[in-house]
Amino acid sequence: MALLPIRFERRLTYTRTAAILTTILAILLAFGAVAILFIILGLDVAAAFQTILNVFITPRLFFQAVVRGVPITLAALGLAIAFRMNFWNIGAEGQIYMGAFASTGIVLAHIYYGFLPEVLVLPTMFLTAFLAGGAWCLLPAVLKAKLNVNEILTTLMMNFIAILWVAYLIYGPWRDPEGFGFPLSIPFPDYAKFLFIAGNQAYTGFTITLIVAALIYLLFRYGKLGFELTVIGQSLDAARYAGINIAKAIVLGAFLSGGLAGIGGLSILSGIIGRLRPDLSPGYGYTAIIVSFLAALNPWLIVPAGIFFGGLFTAGEALQATLKIPGAAVEMFQSIIFIFIIFGEFLKRYRIVVGGGGSGG
Amino acid sequence: MNKESRRKLTRREFLGVTKAAAVGGVIAAGVVGAAAGYFAGTGAAPAKTVTRTTTVTQAGAPTTITKTVEVPAAEKLKVGYVYVGPVGDFGWTYAHDQGRQWADQRFKNVESKYVESVPEAEVGGALESLIAEGAKLIFTTSFGYMDATAEFAEKNPDVYFVHISGYRSGAAGNAPENMSAAFAEFYQLYYLNGLAAGAVTETGVVGYVAAHPIPEVVRHINAFALGANYAYKKRTGKNIKCYVDWLFSWFDPGKTRTAAQALVEEKNADVLAFTEDSPTTLQVAQEYWEKGKRVWSLSHYSDMTQYGPDAHLTGQIVNWGPIYLDFYKMVATGTWQSVDIWTRIGDYLPWRWRLPVEKSTAGKPEGTVYLAPLNPAIPSEWQEEIKRRYEEMKELLFEPFSPEGNLGEPIRDQDGEVRIGPGERADHDMLWSMDWHVEYVETPLPR
Repeated sequence: MALLPIRFERRLTYTRTAAILTTILAILLAFGAVAILFIILGLDVAAAFQTILNVFITPRLFFQAVVRGVPITLAALGLAIAFRMNFWNIGAEGQIYMGAFASTGIVLAHIYYGFLPEVLVLPTMFLTAFLAGGAWCLLPAVLKAKLNVNEILTTLMMNFIAILWVAYLIYGPWRDPEGFGFPLSIPFPDYAKFLFIAGNQAYTGFTITLIVAALIYLLFRYGKLGFELTVIGQSLDAARYAGINIAKAIVLGAFLSGGLAGIGGLSILSGIIGRLRPDLSPGYGYTAIIVSFLAALNPWLIVPAGIFFGGLFTAGEALQATLKIPGAAVEMFQSIIFIFIIFGEFLKRYRIVVGGGGSGG
Repeated sequence: MNKESRRKLTRREFLGVTKAAAVGGVIAAGVVGAAAGYFAGTGAAPAKTVTRTTTVTQAGAPTTITKTVEVPAAEKLKVGYVYVGPVGDFGWTYAHDQGRQWADQRFKNVESKYVESVPEAEVGGALESLIAEGAKLIFTTSFGYMDATAEFAEKNPDVYFVHISGYRSGAAGNAPENMSAAFAEFYQLYYLNGLAAGAVTETGVVGYVAAHPIPEVVRHINAFALGANYAYKKRTGKNIKCYVDWLFSWFDPGKTRTAAQALVEEKNADVLAFTEDSPTTLQVAQEYWEKGKRVWSLSHYSDMTQYGPDAHLTGQIVNWGPIYLDFYKMVATGTWQSVDIWTRIGDYLPWRWRLPVEKSTAGKPEGTVYLAPLNPAIPSEWQEEIKRRYEEMKELLFEPFSPEGNLGEPIRDQDGEVRIGPGERADHDMLWSMDWHVEYVETPLPR
């Protein structure tokens, strides 16, 4: 049987306008496909879309979207740094767990040894979550910089180590002695949680994502490191020619990337759950990869994109509660949107050539 | 009037008449009360408004004025459920959904909705969605939802919350008053499963495929091992060996299959108990039967006989319905009171009397927790023993975690330390924080 006469060619250029149009088109097509799914399921499409829209306009539901969007956004912001230098960090999930681990460590150390004034506990948690997440990305970065080991594999495998490390602690030494043996740490005291302004923790988390987005913007706009990372991402040869210390830049960039995911882990504990537990992230580190590409690695766009995805998760629950849509159909709805976005990203990088033989563009 | 009717009543006749009247009165009162309660409490009017026509005859002028007023019908009770798995898992979530339908069918004037497959750390969106839909009563049916349920109970004082399988409630003093805790507890049934296992095992080794090392699962393993040892030791004079394979997951058919096979082939177990939300373990046992090897397993949460017609020994089954219905009634009648309840054999039965062994209801649906059908392959003297213990536990006359459940010996842990000595029984707190294995469990408890 002959091969299909379809080839994928790498695009050399793709204009900014075309990229934006592709993304918008992908999202529109995704919702079109979702509409077909709803019709197949025999649902009222208008009511279903109204329910999805409600998530973004009903304050209480939208806050849930933001609360969930915060860890996704923070991890995605970190990934944007790595992806800009073509460092394919798939390890945000593990870095989230390490950030959660480190921030819990500070809470426990403070409660049992009391070495800090209470006001400094949360800032210290931020610092250690950042350092722990960053450190978790350091090993793959050094291996990549020194030995050119493929970071996709190393960062991915480090995830499982981090998840099991947290499981070990929570089933073992960090288990709440008064928690009837359930795998939970002691509850965080109020000073270790995001401030509940107006009864909602979304404000604090959202402010943090804006600050981080601004810092990343400044880093790439004015920072020397940002410039170096951009050059490395575009051409290693050019970077070498320009005399950039490539190994050092990769390690630093990866450290920042992992550190922000670590803060994402802190935001799950201090902003949502309120104590350490296994399965603390339902795959936010992986969702962050899609988010950061959807936003074309632009820090300002990552914030709304992250909240959009937080909203999609919340919409899944709203669809079930309102229209009694089965959970599996909701997962299909979310997956369809993910797939269309990923395919749109693919089209930005490759063109599909039908018919064999032709010379490459 | 004839003579007959005027004669004096004898004492016996008087007592007979009085008894009949008393019994009749009680029954009649019960019927009237039930009917009144039924119509008052639950209402049977699904219409949005009811037209009530009042005819008034005024004194003086003999005119009849007919007034028609719109009276709002008894509002439907809106109930929300949050499930951790899909309703089709044939395990934990399936059982909760069956309970929801059971309660809905009996309560009638209710509209219940559920959100399934909600990650444990992410229950906020589901709760907010159900509250936005007007739910007045919300059940969160996984341990990991506990903190969020308490947080939402505080933020929504006009909504009632019931959390399943946790330890926070208004009654316990560590959550707001509009939050209750409930659990249908299986350890007595696991002990009976153990008796059945010990009665049929030929290798003297039983296996347990276990989800997470939390007290609930630990006490179920212990109860199973105690029961298995009781029967096996009485048969052969030797101690049973129980091996555990931990999954660190509530639902993982793939890992369960590997674990079940490892217990059979590496540890030589021929009875497999499990805590996992799929019938996989039973299916694995059935596959061994088809290859000519006798391996037994159990039902979990619902009757799974169809997944292993030969391998199915008995098992533990739950009906959450009566518990849910109780909470429906409380909210509908405005008689909410925060409670922290756990139900066992004998709870939610019309009466708590034990029956003679030959009339035992062991293996038949009743109450909230009951035994799956007993396989006739269990030797008849052990069938009787299981039935006798089941009936005794209806009145809490027998407690598995006592020396009586261990052939009179004190219950020791794996280090040989006595945990439950002569004359002692495990109480709720000991069962709820159990973090040790009985001596018959060979696998160390992960910590």
